[in-house]
Amino acid sequence: MADWQIDLIKVVFIWAWALLIAVVMTWVERRASAMMQDRLGPNRAGPFGLLQPLADGIKLFTKEDIIPERARKILFILGPILFALPAFSTYAVVPFGDKIVIGGKEIILQVSDVNIGFLYVLALSAIAVYGMVIGGWASNSKYSILGGLRATAQLISYEVPMGLALLTIVLLYGTFSLREIVLQQQGTFLGFLPNWGFFKQPVGFIIFLVAAYAEANRVPFDLPECESELVTGYHTEYGSMRLGLYLFGEYVNLVALSAITVSLFFGGWALPYVDMGKFLGPVSYGIASFLVFFLKQAFFLFLFVWVRWTVPRFRYDQLMGLGWKALIPLGLVNLFITALLVQLTT
Amino acid sequence: MPRRPVVKKEYTLGERVYLVEIAKGLRLTWKHFVFNIKASFRKGPHTVPTCWQYPEDRREIAPIFRGAHMLQLNDKGQELCVGCGMCARACPAKCITVKRGKPAEGEEDRYAGKTMCSSFEIDMLRCIFCGNCEKACPKNAIVLGQDYELAEYEPGLCIYDKKRLISNFLKAKAEGRLKPPPAPIPIDAPPVKKKTAVKKMAPGKTKAKGGERAEKGKGTSVKEEDKGPDK
Amino acid sequence: MSKEKGLETICITTGPTEVGDYVTLNIGPIHPAMHGTLRVITQTDGETVISAKPEIGYLHRGVEKLGENLTYSQFLPMTDRLNYCSAICNNVAYEMAVEKLLGIEVPPKAQLIRMIMMELARIADHQVCVGILGVDLGALTPFFYLIIQREEIYEIFEWHHGARLTNSMGAIGGVEADLPDRFHEKWPKMRDTIRRANDETDSLLTHNRIWMDRTIGVNAFCGDDALDWGFTGPMLRACGVRRDLRKDEPYLMYDKVDFEVPVGKHGDVFDRYMVRMLEMEESVKIIDQAYALYKELPDDAPLMKKMPKIIRPPEGQIYHAIESPNGELGFFIKSDGSDKPYRIKIRPPCYMVYQAFEDLVKGEMISDLIACLSSLNVIAGELDR
Repeated sequence: MADWQIDLIKVVFIWAWALLIAVVMTWVERRASAMMQDRLGPNRAGPFGLLQPLADGIKLFTKEDIIPERARKILFILGPILFALPAFSTYAVVPFGDKIVIGGKEIILQVSDVNIGFLYVLALSAIAVYGMVIGGWASNSKYSILGGLRATAQLISYEVPMGLALLTIVLLYGTFSLREIVLQQQGTFLGFLPNWGFFKQPVGFIIFLVAAYAEANRVPFDLPECESELVTGYHTEYGSMRLGLYLFGEYVNLVALSAITVSLFFGGWALPYVDMGKFLGPVSYGIASFLVFFLKQAFFLFLFVWVRWTVPRFRYDQLMGLGWKALIPLGLVNLFITALLVQLTT
Repeated sequence: MPRRPVVKKEYTLGERVYLVEIAKGLRLTWKHFVFNIKASFRKGPHTVPTCWQYPEDRREIAPIFRGAHMLQLNDKGQELCVGCGMCARACPAKCITVKRGKPAEGEEDRYAGKTMCSSFEIDMLRCIFCGNCEKACPKNAIVLGQDYELAEYEPGLCIYDKKRLISNFLKAKAEGRLKPPPAPIPIDAPPVKKKTAVKKMAPGKTKAKGGERAEKGKGTSVKEEDKGPDK
Repeated sequence: MSKEKGLETICITTGPTEVGDYVTLNIGPIHPAMHGTLRVITQTDGETVISAKPEIGYLHRGVEKLGENLTYSQFLPMTDRLNYCSAICNNVAYEMAVEKLLGIEVPPKAQLIRMIMMELARIADHQVCVGILGVDLGALTPFFYLIIQREEIYEIFEWHHGARLTNSMGAIGGVEADLPDRFHEKWPKMRDTIRRANDETDSLLTHNRIWMDRTIGVNAFCGDDALDWGFTGPMLRACGVRRDLRKDEPYLMYDKVDFEVPVGKHGDVFDRYMVRMLEMEESVKIIDQAYALYKELPDDAPLMKKMPKIIRPPEGQIYHAIESPNGELGFFIKSDGSDKPYRIKIRPPCYMVYQAFEDLVKGEMISDLIACLSSLNVIAGELDR
């Protein structure tokens, strides 16, 4: 098997895997939110409602596709695509696991290990902003434009704290590549704490997490698409699979963001004190690392759902105030202190 | 702009840092989450607080629930309705139509009273389920039962005629869901004056009395004698 | 806004009034945040609201006109459909107005039963209002915790008079049924679960900084302005004016029970929310005391005054108001001696509050407009009748 064939298989596999998690996430969201609210959630379509996402997909596919009369047609069609594509493309750099040996060949469970790792991720999330703005503007409706404007402002403002938090990671580990960072998070420091980014950069982690919530448009930052104020904001006028792309793309975005959080701050595929490679064979080591990564990712995905149903949402100016007046100074101070500490310890 | 009072926001330190209170909220939601996951696996209806798995599990309906109407039969199987039309007059939504008739020759033992209702229609699409007809009926013939699943595919089917109303009653009787007879309400009435023998008075005087009463107007309804239901 | 000749004087339309480069946003009768069918035509400059004209009448059913052709006892189900979140208060207000016209007073047991049912309805209404306020502001879980308790209250209603929502409780002259066994069984537990649901909502919302930022200082209103506009109920008490008809002009047996009237300070959304939460606590206290008074009465104490079959009040007019969960709900009845009223006029508490809507939200942001509308507890059935 040539290298490019292996990469192709990896692309298809990881793409299908990401889709699967996003689909299951819709189910998890509905059931978990129901369990928190003392009700049951969907339980009629299949056992425990597991076929509900399939039913939703079929429903969205078979609905009539309406484009409003005075909407800008090309931009209207382009909006959801610009939103969903970057979400899927982020998976190219996520390290899902360590090496696996199949047929004598060592394959790393990552589609491509570029050395600009999460800079690529940041760039892609900037393109996703376009998807929302264009969708809101092209719909030619006041609710949509308000949602689109709010989305732009929110997403652009929160990219800065995210970048600042990530800069501290670069300072700590000296590289952008996600695989390198995960490899450097093995071992312990201070005797008992694992070498994770979470313990070395707690403030950076919190800033990154808050910025991730804002980037993903999740409560408490879901102003662009809040139901009570703007009748779903920038995707008011969308129906059928275009709406499906927006809604689905949001979940794919969530999965990507949790994956990045896990690789940067929680040690990626490795267990904290145990080196799995010592007592597992090559194939099972690969699968085990994949599973560990998935479990950590699942925790963060559940955290997204958990916070959504507990907390009210911000008002627009409070949101911007939090981003610019609280997170950015905190991020700068954090950066400064990290730089100082890194300089002092090397 | 209207004048507004100045509001100072004073936060404690725990409140200023959002995360403390959010963590407390998360703990509460987690407790509910765990409770409900365990509850959803238990057998039986209504284990999760807000959910009844309708139509498999149904709530217990009170016997005095105001649902669909039924025309009652007495123990001998005779129709109680005499066709007096009090229910139609009491109905706020004017949805009952009653026609009184005399029972045909040879069918007199089908009916408990001397007259019967030759047609009795209730337009369920107009009914507001207030229960006035039940309160007005002197024979306790029309009552509101416990049925609330009244949807039909055609509006014509929603006009219940006498046959449908009696079959509602028979169905409820077969399922043991009859309406209990109305409990007597303790009433705060002024003591009833003992009736003395009425002396026949000269015609002039009674007319004066009647005139007096007419002058007072149609008020004083409390002290008026109760015009009892026709027995 | 019709510019055709002759129609300018006839058509009263609401529409954008300010001139300038503003965006006209129609928050229409069908909207996820509207409580019933309300319409607000706002002009916004970005996110700031410049003008907000409310438009009403989408749920007008002509209840008062219908009342002129119905007898007094037939009008009772119509009053259910006013404030449908707490229908019992409407029923009792109407019955008390007619009884005042007739000049009778119901027996004490009936008064206590009416009080207990009304306070339960007050708890139910406040639960809905606080829940919906949370939903509109993004906190979707407290609504469910409160609604479960509402289901228990509905069960008591069902076992008492047969209907859960459109109660038509009682009759003119008293109450038709005694407290059901369910109430005696359930009340000791219910008072604890109601309090616990309130505490859970409290812990999720009250000290959460996101909630406090959203509600403190939003729509702050002076007490004098509120009195000028005719506010009553929790809206007025949140502004700092201590006025509660249960204390100032006691009816039924409210002067025999001991309770406090929670009063806010600034009249903002947070104060309204806190006033409602505290009123729920006070209602539980009132029910406890009324229940204790009820248990002292003999089992066969009378429930109704003897009433004729057809009620014909003497000629005259009466206005009677009670403290419904939303404010002062008043009934003005003018009778001409026949069995049908000549005129019934209902004073809806949320009408007076809603007319001040523009004053409340001018200069605030769109999110605050939604928060304000939720906290006013405008129920379209009562507003439009």
